[in-house]
Amino acid sequence: MTLRKKARNKFVKHLGKQFRDDKTLLQVYSRDMAELPSTTKLLIRNIPDGIILPRNIKDIQQAYKVANETKVPLIPRSAGTSGFGGSIPYKKGVILDGKGLESDIIVEPFDQSVLVSPSMVFSELQRYLKMQGVSLCVFPSSYYSATLGGFIAHGGYGVGSAQYGGAIDQILAIEVVLPNVELVNYTEREDIELIVGSNGTLGLITKVQLKIKFDIPLKHRGCTFDSPKELEDGLKVLASINPYSIWILNPKHVAEMNDAFGFTLPNRYVVLISKEVSFEEEESDFHASFNQAIRDGGGQILDKRYTDKIWDIRYKTFTMIKDYQDFLVSELILPIEKSGKYLQKLASEFNGQLHFEGEVINNSHFSLLLFLYFDEKLTPLKKTIINLKLYKTVMKGKKVGGFPYSTGLWFSGYYSKIFGKEQYKRYKELKKKVDPKNISNPGKVISPRVRIFPLITFKFALKIASWLIR
Amino acid sequence: MSWQVDVLEFAQKCVYCGYCSVCPTYKELKWENYHPRGIIDQIKLYFTEGTKDDLQKDVSKSLFEAIFACTMCKACENICIVDLPLLKIWEQVRQEAFKRGRWNPQLLSLYNKAKDTHNIYGLPAEERLSWAGMVGMNLARRTLKKAPLAYFVGCQASYSGKMIDIPASVVTILRKSKVPFTVLGNEEWCCGSPIFLAGGYSVGKTFAKHNLEQLKKLGVKRIVTACSGCYRAFKVVYPRILGEKWDIEVLHITELTKELLENKKLKIKNKISEKITFKDPCELVRHCGLSEPLRDVIEKIPNVRFEELPSNRDDALCCGGGGLLKLNNAELVKEVNDRLMTEIEFTEADIVTNGCPTCLDTIQYGAKQRGLEIEVIDVSELIKRLVEDKK
Repeated sequence: MTLRKKARNKFVKHLGKQFRDDKTLLQVYSRDMAELPSTTKLLIRNIPDGIILPRNIKDIQQAYKVANETKVPLIPRSAGTSGFGGSIPYKKGVILDGKGLESDIIVEPFDQSVLVSPSMVFSELQRYLKMQGVSLCVFPSSYYSATLGGFIAHGGYGVGSAQYGGAIDQILAIEVVLPNVELVNYTEREDIELIVGSNGTLGLITKVQLKIKFDIPLKHRGCTFDSPKELEDGLKVLASINPYSIWILNPKHVAEMNDAFGFTLPNRYVVLISKEVSFEEEESDFHASFNQAIRDGGGQILDKRYTDKIWDIRYKTFTMIKDYQDFLVSELILPIEKSGKYLQKLASEFNGQLHFEGEVINNSHFSLLLFLYFDEKLTPLKKTIINLKLYKTVMKGKKVGGFPYSTGLWFSGYYSKIFGKEQYKRYKELKKKVDPKNISNPGKVISPRVRIFPLITFKFALKIASWLIR
Repeated sequence: MSWQVDVLEFAQKCVYCGYCSVCPTYKELKWENYHPRGIIDQIKLYFTEGTKDDLQKDVSKSLFEAIFACTMCKACENICIVDLPLLKIWEQVRQEAFKRGRWNPQLLSLYNKAKDTHNIYGLPAEERLSWAGMVGMNLARRTLKKAPLAYFVGCQASYSGKMIDIPASVVTILRKSKVPFTVLGNEEWCCGSPIFLAGGYSVGKTFAKHNLEQLKKLGVKRIVTACSGCYRAFKVVYPRILGEKWDIEVLHITELTKELLENKKLKIKNKISEKITFKDPCELVRHCGLSEPLRDVIEKIPNVRFEELPSNRDDALCCGGGGLLKLNNAELVKEVNDRLMTEIEFTEADIVTNGCPTCLDTIQYGAKQRGLEIEVIDVSELIKRLVEDKK
């Protein structure tokens, strides 16, 4: 326990049993999906000093009040299913676990919206909505574990983004406890967009009103491409037929899928296109426009018997990890235009072992999830080195107009690349106003200073380190 | 796969995807140390040599507390994307808790009772068949007699007054179909399921050996039960601990009914006009993969009004009563059960049926708490109503 006694007493006094700091629990909360190798311990003090499981807004306000008084960092956390480091402490502090919030759901079928707690897991909420004949519009790839709060704080995209956009486009209103304990309810896009992708640096989301839609069945078609350039050309055309989702798999990933799920997919770039179809004519139109797109864009049509099977494992591709001892993952956003060049280079990186899946997020961009699997358990040093190489690979995407998927800790300092300079300026103004002591999730979004060498930022340190690695 | 697994090796394979947040206990308690992936993290700390002493003490307290808050519903294992044998891991950690003397008094009491009297209630073996007398049945001609089929009644159905309709219904079904069968009577020992779930491997094994010996003496080839716990023990656990010696075919009453209907040995004679829903018991559907036979039977009911629960089959919600949770945290049982009751209420069914005495008990309690006007019955009771002669 490193929390000063006075600070600890204050947390206990105001939060009671909702504050805990038993050693085991602190260890359990010290990570997200990407376990930190021990080599990073010098830079990142990821074991928290305490955990708060707030039940309501009052608990969150009390937590921020004490944190401001004692200058103890508060780290908002939800399901911890991403690997960007957004929900792990950078310089210790107390974790504010949003999963504790009550999860009432109010569905407004006529307004096509649902008012819900951010602690809800996507699959849980979707199950509930389906009972009412409605559905969410967009789902993250970690559908069975990600919460709404984490998805929003992360600035996520997902399955359905091609038609319905990213996290920002789903939100009609959002309620947040700001670090200055003020409870705000934002309904204007210019306010909401500051919360989306802020990784909890602007407080904890307490309620969100999301768009919903009727639960419309999906029809799937598939096609393959021989090269990254052909894929690029094909995606340009396919994105224009207004599909619900376009899922992209590289040949290495396809080979893994064949092994893991017993498929016999061709060893090429495979693309699965899904479209909401309410009636027969719509389905015919979809098939016609898909066939036309393939004729225009090149590529080969994939046998229909594959497509439903591929869709069935849409949220389960991580299953492929089970045959390996270790893995590393990273993610970026790429413009479709020029993506061929980058993907061509990817094919030769890491001895051709890199595999990926992508999801088109709008007419012009797609997100790319990169995987590396290993037959051996990596030593901390090796893991650090390969992670840095992977970081470098993501950064190379900038040359073709790409950018990191989210900031979190690992890509802190890239907010303006992701959201634009103007939004970054507004973000910083709000941050300064509502959190002058930088209490809420320090080290995220804006790159922090390196603890052992405060002259440089974390972002710069990573750049140097990845440059040194060959 | 053998009984023992390398707990630490498997724990290190966890990829922390968090899909196991479906855990009913975690959904209620919400602290990450109750999350299956959090338990896995604690296992790593507990079983790794070199964990500092002070942390080790804290870990064992936290880990054992979490492991006994588990309902053993297997939702975590079913959704695990890297196929970790989580149930075996949880059972093994419970065994470790037993070795370290970390069972709570109620659990220890159940264990001792079962060890001494061979039933979970600590009641005399002579009372095993007293239910028959209470419902006006005479099973003397059927007790410990040679027959190809044995009806394994189970502790709850044998001793608990609340469950008395279950054995009465099963016997009615068997008699109606004129299938020769036997019951073990005083020689029926607890199947061992609660003991295995508690982590008491060696005592459970003596029960398994005894039951097998009795069944073999009577020339039994098939065994039928209406208890999902017994079914799981015979189907999953006995083969693991007895190996090839366990060559008896295991049937749930729903499977046997389906077979009897298909062979025309049973006939559906009555309609059920009430709306029915079915709660898949975790031990049947997730532990043993059994979900369809009852649905097949229901399908055969003329003009049946049947509605599935929103979460059904592999996705079925836990009733909260599994994993001996009642002995460890009775309050948590109610909280877990509440989610299931919401789904049951949603269906607006008049009858909720299931194939597990523990589910029956917890659902009955939940319905009473909510003031629901719904009849909660075991599947054997439902089947009996379909096939019995009208009085």
